[in-house]
Amino acid sequence: MTTVPYIVSFLLAIFTSMMINNVVLSRFYGICSFIGIGNKVKSSFSMGIAVTFVICFSALICWPLYTYVLNPLGIPFMDTLAYILVIASLVQIVGLFIKKFSPTLYKGFGIYLPLITTNCAVLGVVQGNTDSGLSFGMSMANALGTGLGYLVMICVFAFIRMKLEGNQTPKAFKGVAIALITAAIMSMAMMGLSGIGS
Amino acid sequence: METWLKYVIGIGMLLILGAIFVFTFILYHKMPAPKGCEDILPSEGKCHGCKEVGCHFNLYYNSKEEKKEEEETKHDDVN
Repeated sequence: MTTVPYIVSFLLAIFTSMMINNVVLSRFYGICSFIGIGNKVKSSFSMGIAVTFVICFSALICWPLYTYVLNPLGIPFMDTLAYILVIASLVQIVGLFIKKFSPTLYKGFGIYLPLITTNCAVLGVVQGNTDSGLSFGMSMANALGTGLGYLVMICVFAFIRMKLEGNQTPKAFKGVAIALITAAIMSMAMMGLSGIGS
Repeated sequence: METWLKYVIGIGMLLILGAIFVFTFILYHKMPAPKGCEDILPSEGKCHGCKEVGCHFNLYYNSKEEKKEEEETKHDDVN
């Protein structure tokens, strides 16, 4: 494959995973942190950055692990276990860096940081990459696009929720109920992009 | 390669990954929290929407809410 078409397909893969197959609103992964953290723009942004970082590094480690170790050895069924351990270790390392170098960020979501391990978006992307037989470059594009998609959507969601707080909401819809309705409307809006490229 | 050897290598690899996780886990918990962040508690705003059953922050928040409800009930009974 020549360089220019490869770059174009790389960028298209990023856009596809970011907007068309959005991890939260189309594939419904990582809903817990999306609803839980997505009420303040600043903490949502930090969470999005941390999740993007963990997804990219997990993909960077797990793809070679599967392709050059697990598959040649004939033990691809051990992939989920191996991925979970890689993701959990990566989250601890990210936590270490944040604890050491950014007290502000640690104050923002330090105690919630280990919960990225239980974010199924991370495992879903890594598992999806190897299950669909993507090349290394496309796996990285998928991981980057997924992380950016999560980051954009959690920030937009937080912004809408902040606006909603200032409005008069019926008592029955206050809190999580209106958040879920907002997420549902956002998800339907994202379905409008599903025809692109077909 | 023999089948048993593949399994041994696979299990060995998992053990190595497990050891890396344990090492990073211990390092993370042994590293002191930055100044001013020593006694950070889960915030109600962040935990409110999450229904993660196994999360101890959620358990903390739920127990706090139960206490509040109990106090309100007692207060109503007194009135």
